[in-house]
Amino acid sequence: MRDLRIAAVADIHLGEDVRGHYRKKLEGIEQRAEVLLVGGDLTRHGTVQEGRVVAEELRDLPIPVVAVLGNHDYHSDANKEIIEVLRDAGITVLDDDSTVVPLDGLRLGVAGGKGFGGGFAGKCASEFGEPETKAFVRHTREIAERWRLALKGLEADHKVVLSHYSPVKDTLTGEPPEIYPFLGSYLLAEAADAEGADLFVHGHAHAGTEKGMTPGGIRVRNVALPVIEHAYVVYCLNGDGDC
Amino acid sequence: METPHYAPHYVAARVQRVLAEDDRTNELGIRVDVRGEELFLRGQVSSDERRHQIEDVARETAPGLRVHNEIKLVEVREPGEEEHL
Repeated sequence: MRDLRIAAVADIHLGEDVRGHYRKKLEGIEQRAEVLLVGGDLTRHGTVQEGRVVAEELRDLPIPVVAVLGNHDYHSDANKEIIEVLRDAGITVLDDDSTVVPLDGLRLGVAGGKGFGGGFAGKCASEFGEPETKAFVRHTREIAERWRLALKGLEADHKVVLSHYSPVKDTLTGEPPEIYPFLGSYLLAEAADAEGADLFVHGHAHAGTEKGMTPGGIRVRNVALPVIEHAYVVYCLNGDGDC
Repeated sequence: METPHYAPHYVAARVQRVLAEDDRTNELGIRVDVRGEELFLRGQVSSDERRHQIEDVARETAPGLRVHNEIKLVEVREPGEEEHL
């Protein structure tokens, strides 16, 4: 099996004030990667107008684009409309489901969605007490279960999980520990470890660090734009040959 | 309402909350520190317009404090070396 180059970025936070800037940085991406993954927080206020800017910046790229939404993209309660606008522009948007991207003889399976918080093993909320607390934790648990099923059903040569929230603490290093429960949940990592994946890509933690790993050994990469400081990063999944 | 001079901790918390919730900003990643009569803003945003907008909202929320805008612009460089996994 040949190697596969995946470009990834998150937290691009586009709006009218930066229209056209990000697109310029994507020129020549087809020479570096075969697919672009975008890990949420595509907009700043989550309006349909901003969603249209995102669609314009990402449409008609020479490589397929797979995206998820982030918490900012939910802020104006227009998440469904934003998904529609992006899909109309040819962008695949995952919403707790999966897709298989055919790439010149290889099948890349991508599963995921926005994800959610709750914290990390031993220091997390549980479904106990007030209904508000239970609803918060249940939301993440249900998402994680949908991701596990999505991963299980994927038939592909390589599998990647695409999320906005983090599955591990490793990639949050640099953020205040007090806010970790709002930055991710170990339930997302557990779902990926249960079914296996080659890579877990997320954003959300602007002050975090790029590299981490799930307890099961899946490489985790925080690709939030302020973390990677590049238009995108490229990860080469190695097949039998040299990357 | 608390007098900002006597409650710097609450003023910083209030400014941080308003920066997240005000529709002109909606910025969650800005650190706000108050020392005496000085207010410091730190973080990264992607345009100069956003940087100034944050400063304006901070000034409105904490009138009477001297605002130091130390927010940096996110540098989006060309893609670098790929990582082999």
